[in-house]
Amino acid sequence: MEKLKLHNSDLTCWNCPAIDLAGKVDFRACGQSTKELAKISEDSDTYIMAECHRRPELGLFDPMGITFEECPEWQRTAYGYMLKDMRVMILGIDGYLGWTLALWLGKLGCNVSGVDNFSRRDWLKERGAHTVVPISRMTERLSAAKEVLDIDINFRQLDLMNDRERLKEFMDEIKPDAIVHYGECPSAPYSMIDAEHAIGVQKNNVLGTLGVLFSMRDIVPETSLIKLGTMGEYGTPLTGRPLFEGMFPADAVLTWDNREWSLGGELTPRDPVSFYHVSKVQDTYNIVEACKYWWLRSYDVMQGVIFGVYTEQVSADPRLRTRLDIDEWFGTVINRFVAQAVIGLPLTLYGAGEQIRGFIALEDAMQCMTRLIASPPEPGQYAVVNQMSGYYSLRELAETVAKIGKSEFNLPVKIQRLENPRVESERHPFEPIYENLPKRYGFKPQVSLEEEIYRMLKLLTQPKIKTRIEEKRHHIVPKTWWSGEKRQVETIEILPSGSQVETEEEKDEAYGR
Amino acid sequence: MRLTDANFDEEVFNSKMPVLVDFWASWCIPSQMMKPVIDNLSKEYEGKVKIGKINVDQNPRTRERYNINGCPTVIIVKDGREVVRRVGAQSDSQLRSLIDQYGE
Repeated sequence: MEKLKLHNSDLTCWNCPAIDLAGKVDFRACGQSTKELAKISEDSDTYIMAECHRRPELGLFDPMGITFEECPEWQRTAYGYMLKDMRVMILGIDGYLGWTLALWLGKLGCNVSGVDNFSRRDWLKERGAHTVVPISRMTERLSAAKEVLDIDINFRQLDLMNDRERLKEFMDEIKPDAIVHYGECPSAPYSMIDAEHAIGVQKNNVLGTLGVLFSMRDIVPETSLIKLGTMGEYGTPLTGRPLFEGMFPADAVLTWDNREWSLGGELTPRDPVSFYHVSKVQDTYNIVEACKYWWLRSYDVMQGVIFGVYTEQVSADPRLRTRLDIDEWFGTVINRFVAQAVIGLPLTLYGAGEQIRGFIALEDAMQCMTRLIASPPEPGQYAVVNQMSGYYSLRELAETVAKIGKSEFNLPVKIQRLENPRVESERHPFEPIYENLPKRYGFKPQVSLEEEIYRMLKLLTQPKIKTRIEEKRHHIVPKTWWSGEKRQVETIEILPSGSQVETEEEKDEAYGR
Repeated sequence: MRLTDANFDEEVFNSKMPVLVDFWASWCIPSQMMKPVIDNLSKEYEGKVKIGKINVDQNPRTRERYNINGCPTVIIVKDGREVVRRVGAQSDSQLRSLIDQYGE
C-alpha cells in the first residue's frame, strides 16, 4: 500500500542540510560574469553532483534523485519527515519560546543545542518586573530536562553581539542542521522607553542578527535559518490591502499609465509600529540580502501575537516551566488579560480596543516551527510564512477572557478602556494571508483560544502564582508613551459587562472584511 | 514538466507542440513566486502548449547554451525556434498574452 504523503515527502537532497553541494554547483552564475562559465563545453558532463555526509557510501550522486520519503535518514513523524537526530541550535534558548521549543524538539528526538546571554531575565529585573510563572536557573533547567524527560541539551552562555568568535566555535562544534533564531528583544514598549532603550533594542536585534548571518556564511552555509519576525512588521495599512506572506504573489500587478507589471517576488511594503518592529523589518532585509549573496536559506516567520502556557513538556514538572510575563513591556495581550482577570484588575484595552491582530497559541507555534525545521528551504531560498491561527479584535479577546473567567473560575472580570499610549490605528481594515503554513507545511491548529485561556486561568489562579501577579500589579497598566510623556495612562471608561461586542455585520463593515 | 540538461533538446526543440519554458532558481524570489502561476497555466493549456520549468543552477549546460543571464526568464519555442523571450517576473495575464500571441 502506498504511504500517505506528508508535506515534505517529495523534497530531495537538494533541500537536505546533510548534502555537500560545495564546489559542485555553480550557484548564481546566471547573469553573472565569471571565468568558471567558460569551462562548460558541449561535451563536458555538467550534471550536478552531491555528496552525503550521513551516507558517504553513496559517493557522488544526483541530489534530485532521492526524496525524503526514500531516504532512510529521514524518518516519519507527526510533523513530516525529520532527519534522524536532527541537530537544531536555538539562539535565545532561555526565553519563553526558546525553552519551550528546546524541550519540544528534544522529546521528538532532535539533538538540541542552544545559546543565551540571559538578557531577557536582565531586562525584566531592570524594569522591576518578574515572570509570574516561576522559572529555574539554566543549570537546574538542564538537569530537570535530563531527569524528567531524558533530554540532553548542549547549552553555551554567550552574547550574539559580543561573543561572535565563540558563537562560531560553537557552530563549528555542533554543525547544526537548522538554527532557530529567537535571540532578540521582543518588546515594542521596551524599545520606546527612551533613546538608550531604542538603541539597545535595535543594536541587539539588528546587529546581533547580522553577526549570526556572517557566522553562518563562514561556518555552516548549508544550515537553514528559521528566524522569528512578527506580523507587526506589516502593521495595519489603512489601504486595507491584504497582508501577503512577505512578498507579493506573481498574479499581483502594478498598473500605471496603461501598462502592467508583475509585482511577484517584490517585498511588500512594511509599516512597523515601534522601533522594535523596525528592527525586525531591518532583519528581514538583511536576511534577504544574505540569501542572495551567499545562498543561505531562511524562513522568516511573521508570528502573530503569541499566548499561552501549555505544552506537554513544560507542564511535566515545575522546574521545566517556561516564563510568563505580564508587565507592560513584555506581557503580550492575552497573557496580560488573563493575569488581570486573576487579580481583579479590569482588563485594559488601549483606546477604542478595536485593534485587530493575528494570534497563535504556544503549542501551535511549536508545531509550526517543527514543520518548518523539517522542510529546509532550497539553497539560497528566502521564504516567509505568516504564523497565526486566527485573528480577533482586542475587545473580542477581552470578552472571551472575561466570559471564561466568570463561568469557569467565578472571577468578577471587568473591562476598561484606557488612554492609548501608542501611536496606532484603533479601528482599521485587516486582511492577513496565512496560507503557506497550512497549505505547504501541513499545519493544523490544535488549540482553540478558549482552551488555552482556560489552561492559563487554571495555572495563574494557583495561590503562589496569583501572589506573584499581585506583587507586580503596578507594572501592568502602561506608563510608556510613544510620545515620550512620562505619566500613567488614565482610564477612559469601565465598560458595562456583556454589552460591548459588536454584531458580525457591524464588524464586517468596520474592518472592511 | 521538469526539464533538465538531459531532456531539454528533446522536449523543447524537438517538440511538435509549442513550448513555454520558465528558467528559475531557488535564490530568485520572483521565480519562486511564479511557480503556482506556471503550474496553473500548465494544467490549463494541457494538450495545446507544453509548459516546462528548468532550474538554472541544476542545469548549467542549458543555461549557458541558451544564454540565460537573468532570472526568471521565460521563452517560447515553436517549431524548434525561440520566438520570444522575456526576462523578469511575469504576471498571469502577461504570460497568457505571450502564449496567445506566440504560442498558438
